[in-house]
This record gives sequence, C-alpha cells and structure tokens, in this order.
Amino acid sequence: MTQSTTLTSIDGILSLPDTPYDIGPLGLQRGRISELVGPAGMGLTRIGLGMLVETSRRAPVVLVDVRGWASPGAAWEAGIDPDRLVVVRCPETASWSSVTAALVGGVGALFAEVPAGVGSAGLRRLAAMARARGSGVVLRPLTGELPGGVSHTRIKGMGVTWEGPHQGHGRLMRRRLIIEVSGRGVGGMTRRFELEDDGEDRLSVVPVLATGSTRRTDVG
Amino acid sequence: MAVSPTAEEEADIRIGMDRRVAESELPGAVVLERDPGEEVQRFEPVVRAMEEVVPRVEVVAPGTVLIDITGALRYYGGVEVVVDKLLEAVAATGDEPGVGGGGGSGEPWRVCRVGVADSPFAAGIAARTANTTPHIVTDTPRYLAGLDLGVMADADRTELVDTFRWLGINTLGEVADLPRDVIASRFGPVGLETHRLASGEDRATDPRPIPTELAVESRFEEPLVDLDSVAFVSRQLAARLIESLTGEGLSIHQVLVEMTRSDGVTRTRTWRSIDPLTERSLSDRIWWQLRAWLDETPDDVDPTSPIGITRIRIDPSRVSGEGRQLSFWEDTTSMIETERALGRAQALVGPDRVVVGHPEGGRLPAERVGWQRWGEPPPPVQRDPDAPWPGATPSPVPTLVPPRPQPVAMEWDEGMPVRIRMGSRWETVLSWSGPWRLMGRWWNREGTADRYQVVTSAGAVLCVVWEGKTYLAGIYD
Repeated sequence: MTQSTTLTSIDGILSLPDTPYDIGPLGLQRGRISELVGPAGMGLTRIGLGMLVETSRRAPVVLVDVRGWASPGAAWEAGIDPDRLVVVRCPETASWSSVTAALVGGVGALFAEVPAGVGSAGLRRLAAMARARGSGVVLRPLTGELPGGVSHTRIKGMGVTWEGPHQGHGRLMRRRLIIEVSGRGVGGMTRRFELEDDGEDRLSVVPVLATGSTRRTDVG
Repeated sequence: MAVSPTAEEEADIRIGMDRRVAESELPGAVVLERDPGEEVQRFEPVVRAMEEVVPRVEVVAPGTVLIDITGALRYYGGVEVVVDKLLEAVAATGDEPGVGGGGGSGEPWRVCRVGVADSPFAAGIAARTANTTPHIVTDTPRYLAGLDLGVMADADRTELVDTFRWLGINTLGEVADLPRDVIASRFGPVGLETHRLASGEDRATDPRPIPTELAVESRFEEPLVDLDSVAFVSRQLAARLIESLTGEGLSIHQVLVEMTRSDGVTRTRTWRSIDPLTERSLSDRIWWQLRAWLDETPDDVDPTSPIGITRIRIDPSRVSGEGRQLSFWEDTTSMIETERALGRAQALVGPDRVVVGHPEGGRLPAERVGWQRWGEPPPPVQRDPDAPWPGATPSPVPTLVPPRPQPVAMEWDEGMPVRIRMGSRWETVLSWSGPWRLMGRWWNREGTADRYQVVTSAGAVLCVVWEGKTYLAGIYD
C-alpha cells in the first residue's frame, strides 16, 4: 500500500477552513458543474459533501436526494452545520430539471443526484444557469456519465481501500480513494489523485500520484 | 413593453406584452431600449411638483410613488382636496419640455392613476385599477377581501395562486380567513407574505429602530462631473451601507439620498422598496437619482468649471429585521434568494420533501437523524443525541442510508461473511468487523440483531442480520 505522507500545500484541499472558494479541480467552483462518476462505494458522495463545506460556512447548501438515501449525519461529519444543509427529495425524473433549475437560481452550492432519463437539454440549461448565477454545482449521475459539455470537471471513482476491519475485529477507520480528474477544469488533461479519508472530517491528497498527468482528453 | 397612454388607446397594447406582438398591433411603433436612469430623470420634475404639495414623497420606481398623506389631510381638509392638488401639480409638469406623460393636455386623469388606502399594498392595487377617477378606498380590509386572487399573481406567486385556485380559494378575503400558521407551514415564506398582504398588513412587519451613524457619506474636493465616477461612487456607497446594516442584522427598505452640488444646491429624495434592497438594487437607485440630478444642471454654466457633485449621503430611513437569522443566513442577498429558491422547490415537490435534518440519539444511522420541514421550527428532540447510547454504530457514518434496511443477499461460511451481492454482481468480502449485537426491545418481540461492517473491492457497507436474514443499513460511499 502507498505510504500515507500528505503534502502540506494541498493537504486538506477539500476541507481546510481557510480554503478560498475557487481552489482548483477538487474544490467547488463558482458557476461550474463538477461531475462525480462511479458506482456507490467509491467515496464519491463523501467527496461531493466535502465540496459543500466551505460554502456552508457562509450560506445554506442544498442536497437533491433522488433515491431517498441521503444521510445528513455524513454531511455533519464532513463539517456541514446541521442548520445549513437543506435536503430536497426529488425522486421523479420529470420534475428533476425544474427543481434543480429553481435551486440553482438561489443557492450558493448544490449537490444533486441525477436520475436516469434526465435529458441533455435540461442539463445544459442547468449548466448555463449555474454560469449565469455563479452557483457551484456538483452532479452525481446515478447511471453512466453526463453528456459532453455539461460538466467543467469530471471526477471518476477508480478504486477504494479501507483500513481497520480484520476478520471480525476492529472497525472501519480510514480509506484511500483513487480518483481520475478530467475536463476543462484540469486543462483538458486527465490526472489521477489518491485521497485519504480519515473517516471523520478530513480528506487529504496523497502526493504520490498527485502529479501524474496521464494523457490529454476531450471530456466535457 | 412599456407604453404611453396614447399608444395604449390606439391599439390593444399592454404593459408586459411581448415586443413582437406589440409591433404587430402597432406596426409604426418605434422600439427603444429601456433606460431606467432616463426614466428617473424624466420623472424627477413630477416628483418635485408633488413634493410642493406633500413633502413626504417616496419613489418606488420611475413612475410610481407612495405618499403618506396623513398630515396633509389635516392641512388641506380632505382626501379629495389633497388628491386634486397633487393631480394639478402633476398636470402642470406636462407643459415642461422633456417631461413624459401629460403633454399639457389639462387632463391629469390620463396621466396619473391614483389609489388611496390604509396600506401601500392596497393603495397600489387601487391605483392599478383606477381609470378616469382616483380610486379612494374607505374600508381597506373589506376592499382587499373582495379582490380576486389574480392581483397577487406576480412572478414569485404564480404557482401559489394556481394552487389556491385549485383548492377553491379565489379572493384575498378567503386567503386571509385561513390560519396563518397553516399557510406558513404549507407554503413557506411566500405563503406567509401573501397572507400578510391579504390581511392588509405591509410586508415590513418587523420595523427596527435605526442605529445611529449608519448613514454613509462621501465628500469630494474635486466635484464629480462625469457619469462614470458617479456610478462608481454609487456602488461604493451602496456596498458600505449594506455591509454595515448586515453587521447589525438588518434589512433596508427605504433610503434617503442626499446630494450637494458645487453651486451649493442640495437635493434629497426618498426611495422605497417593499422587498429589502440588495446591494445591486440600492446601487442602481442611487445611480439613477444622482444621474437625474446631475443632468438637470443649468445650461449657462461656464464649461471650464462645470457644476458637479461635492457631497453624497445615503441615510437608511426604514430598516427591518425581517427574515434575518444571522446565525443561519449571514448574507442578506443570499438569504432572500435562497428563501425564494427553496420556496419554489417546495411548490414543485411539496413541503414534506424540502427538509432539514437535526441530530437525534440512536444506535443505527437512520435513527440518528430527525427531520423537519424547511422553514418550520425544529420539533423537540425525541432521543437525546448527547446521551451515551452504548452499542451505537461507530463513525464514520455511512453516506447513503436507506429509510428502511433493504434485504441483501450474503453468503456465509461457518459464521463468516464470504460474498455479498452488490447490484447485479457478487463481490468477495475482503474483510469485515462485527458482529455488534443490537438488543431489540424484547417486550416488543423485536429480538436481537447483529451488525457487520463489510469491506469489498467495490467499497464498504453496513449490514444488519436479523432472524437469519441480511439487510443493507448503509453504504460508505
């Protein structure tokens, strides 16, 4: 396993208290859509919640819950104040676009699950609204990926490794997440990061893979 | 589409109509881009004329004023007299070149629509419905009660009005008869505001004393003569004022704009807004007003020493704590916008689906969250979250928690989990922790259950095994 030596300059990139709003590809960006791609279990919801923390210090943030499985406890653990997280349950695909459009017009940060069947026109309209309003939006498609051109940054879950449990003993303690970041937010390059989740309120980048630009892509 | 009364009479053109439709109705019409600054400039003589009759004139928008005539009634001796005096003053401005509206027709009714009532909201509606004669409302509650709900259907309330109609509620009186707490619970802040207005109460229901020294002022040794500099200073002053009021937890509804010119002339004007003024809207109003004043300087000025602005003062003359909860909403503009956005979301998905969680005590992740509708006060805590709760599932909390544990297929080998079905795939269990015994309420025949944290290459899940069956209680996504 990779030695866990965090890099001071980017340590806590997702949750450092004094982190500026625009912090780069792993931070929430005003007027941009970040996309989280991958199956449940890859730590992507945790990354998305981490993106909301900074904005939640100044204003309420909204989580659009399609499956009805959203867990505020995890958001609180990530550092979002309970009073500042509003959960909007929207299981109907037909109304999803209207609901998210209404929210993007008024909230600073939005994390929304995207149900299967949402049309690309609705997603592009959402991207345009986010740009116009300066809202930071994180979208988590429940199946597949968003159409090209919608997201500014795509974060793809590639793998996860947990530490702690061992044949019945111990408990979940911390995990390593491997993610691949691509899109205009990283200059059209594809970059691979390893994140360490301490299991509570801190996500940090492990430096070994952090500098590895792999190839140029045209995603988004 | 903003039209003159003359054009409105000649063709079926209404304010708010689409440009193409209006052009088809009146093909010879010249279409101009709207310039609020110029509208303020052209409206300024009208306001000044009204101020000669009644001193307290508040500008809501170019073309719309609110006037408190309480004192004038005693001075002039009646509502009709005050209204006549105001209309005569406005009609006289029609003879001035460059003043829009009357054209010196001598028929002030064609220029002004006047409504008189006990509240600004009722007066505004009365003015909108007035035609050839001023509409003087003598019994405001009864007048409001009889109004059709359509008068409320602005951009923010269209869906609300539709819902009321669907429920068989068609007048403001029927809205006012509904319990306010029920309206607030079902429709949120927009519904609450609608109920207040329907009941004859102004939106600024929470007036606050104005803190001393909140006015902002700038003096200039070199008079400001160009419009760009004035615009820049307007933005600066608006930002300073909003920032200081935000620090006091206040919203601003009315400001007094005061300017001194280099020739010694001082002018003041009150601007009023039903909604709290944002930095942008305040800055716009200051800019429009200063531009209007700057443009009216005499023509015979020596071009080598033009008249400019030497002093600007912005004084908040009405503030409120409405909607302000500083511990939650720290930013005035985002507070209003967020409330509106969540209100719209409530209208779309229903109030039960826009919720805020609060910590509760419990041993399973789903038990440790209580829910309340957004906009409602939190209910009393059912289970103390600070109590020890021995046997509670340790952190981290799963990021995805089903409302009820979901059946899941798990293969066991001599009491040890071996494989778990994740979606359509079987995943090999790499490691696990548990079982942690969960004692049920035996008196309720709940029995006992065991919890496991199960790790696979696709991630980790929390499972509960109860009566020989395995259930998914959370995913560590």
